[in-house]
Amino acid sequence: MLTAVGRFMVDVAVIGAGQTKYGNHPSGLKGMWAEAAERAFASVDQNFEPRCVDEAFIGSVAFGGGQLGNTAALLTEHSGLEGIPVRRVENACASSGFALRDAWMAIKSGQADVVVAGGIEKMNDLSPERRRFWLGVSGDTEWERLAGLTFPGTYALMARRHFHEYDSTHDDLVNISVKNHLHGFENEMAHIRKEVSFEKAQSGFMVADPLTLYDCCPTSDGASAVILAADHVVRQFTDDPVWLRSSGAGSDFLALHDRPSITQVRATQQASNAAYKAAGITAADVDLAEVHDCFTIAELMATEDLGFADRGEGGVFAREQRGVRNQGDVCINPSGGLKSKGHPLGATGTGQAVEVFKQLRGSVEDARQIRDAEIGITHNVGGSGATCAVHVFGRDRA
Amino acid sequence: MNEVVDWQGYLAMFDQEALMIQSPFTHDGVIVFGADSDYTTMAIAGLHLLSSRGTEIATMRSLPLVNPSAVKSATGTTVVCDDENTEACEWNLLVGEEATLVFTNNLERNLGFHGPAELESLDPSFYADIKTAWEQELKPAHVSQGAYVSEAAYMEGAAARLAFMAQSTNANLIWPPRQLDADGQRLESPSQPLMTSAIVESWTKLSAAGAPSEFALRAPVLGGIQTVFVRFEQGPCGVFLVADDEQYEPAIGDEVTFVVRRIYAQEGLIRYGMKAVPKLN
Repeated sequence: MLTAVGRFMVDVAVIGAGQTKYGNHPSGLKGMWAEAAERAFASVDQNFEPRCVDEAFIGSVAFGGGQLGNTAALLTEHSGLEGIPVRRVENACASSGFALRDAWMAIKSGQADVVVAGGIEKMNDLSPERRRFWLGVSGDTEWERLAGLTFPGTYALMARRHFHEYDSTHDDLVNISVKNHLHGFENEMAHIRKEVSFEKAQSGFMVADPLTLYDCCPTSDGASAVILAADHVVRQFTDDPVWLRSSGAGSDFLALHDRPSITQVRATQQASNAAYKAAGITAADVDLAEVHDCFTIAELMATEDLGFADRGEGGVFAREQRGVRNQGDVCINPSGGLKSKGHPLGATGTGQAVEVFKQLRGSVEDARQIRDAEIGITHNVGGSGATCAVHVFGRDRA
Repeated sequence: MNEVVDWQGYLAMFDQEALMIQSPFTHDGVIVFGADSDYTTMAIAGLHLLSSRGTEIATMRSLPLVNPSAVKSATGTTVVCDDENTEACEWNLLVGEEATLVFTNNLERNLGFHGPAELESLDPSFYADIKTAWEQELKPAHVSQGAYVSEAAYMEGAAARLAFMAQSTNANLIWPPRQLDADGQRLESPSQPLMTSAIVESWTKLSAAGAPSEFALRAPVLGGIQTVFVRFEQGPCGVFLVADDEQYEPAIGDEVTFVVRRIYAQEGLIRYGMKAVPKLN
């Protein structure tokens, strides 16, 4: 088991990060990836060029009938990275979270000094019928899908059970939706940039009872990339690195019905415990968290699983607005999260890292800046919780 | 008048050892199947009823209107649909022109069934829409968008899916089945049946707009599709669609039982599985 890794190996920093705007992107795969890579390259302060990169890991779930195999080679070809070792990483919606982990481990192990981790998904270039492809394609096909479940359905089952077991209600989910739209409103890269009132979010079109349209993230196109460097080469590129202090990951049964509980995600607990331990922090030290809110109930449960709220208190956490920017101890989803910023499946994990990198460097839009942010985390979940990667970033190296 | 038994969503009548089972629905005066039933699901229900009364049928001859592999997985009964090897069949399944079946072990004897006087008349537009939807769904060109359950995958889990067969370990029952355990040892094949009732722990109703492609044609007709998350008394949990004919909104704590119904069709093949219905006390 890989736990508490990295304490005695090379340290890893993020030296650059960039992404496309999420949404209905006019470009195809190659153009989107080139745009994200170009922005990531340009964000490095000095002396960077693509030939500095030793290896790349690119997350994606699928391409809806486009380039299915060898996608990573196609993308590196269009970003000046041809010739380096590269592979596609697939772990459902956590694909690029695990690409980031792979990149981090490549440097930790001493095999590479500069590595690109990225992700991409083109979801909106399909006909309406083929677009149904995305509805739960990473869930348990043989049992859950034959029971009519898509991801809205599986998360709806979790929500109703959470309401039954704990002091939580749909209004708590509404508060999460309103908060994330508030945070995403000022984010130039967000898919849905509009504030939503409590009343409007409360009365949304029912998608999977009890989850409404305002509980569900949009279907987004997007690409994102971060550039990691080993401690001994960081200063070639920047005097202002963000340190990737640890990486934790976990997994669970693919299908809900095989898990001991459907009101908590063990993969998140495993991943965050490992990441916190390796970074030498607790949840109380975290200033901002990019949390995987594919559905509002996912954020509510994650606030518990990540340790920001006690078990069963996620609803109270949301109700008391404790995750609102510069209002509570920790800002949850300063980017707007998947709900507002968008969810291009394979791009989401490294897209979260782009946000944390910029927040910790103080380079987001003024209205969105988290004050005095020192430590941020990303939380990227695959499926309904079968896989999870958590990363801890800090202004300080340790 | 024979005694009419309400059984797994169908109506059944006995005449000595023979059993007649029929759909409870009519359209234009003709007995027709409900939204997710066919001869196969009704044959399985009939075999379950016969078994509950002590009659186990090993082999049965039938017209090729029932799916032999589904019947075999659900009941253990071998259905012979060709003209060969029929000598071994003690029982016959007679398929009616309407949605009726008769199980008999004596073709010489006159059967005297008198069906129920009152059946439920289906809404004409609903009947037409659901019939059209199934016809489209059954076309070989109707392919899945992202949830392909191959014949091999479907059959691998058929005993667990259609007969609730679970794996038995020292500590508990495992369902649906798994392959290796934490010691790296292969788990035994499913051999222990789960109870046929369970308690609802959560549920949802998916809107027609959000239905996966396998259900996209019928979900608008049905007004969405309902799924329950249940726990069996022996421990395992599962997720199941609610049978399409049921006018039932689940609640946590409800006791449900299960019936075999059509799940969906793709590439010309019907997938069968258990669906939940409220347990009548």
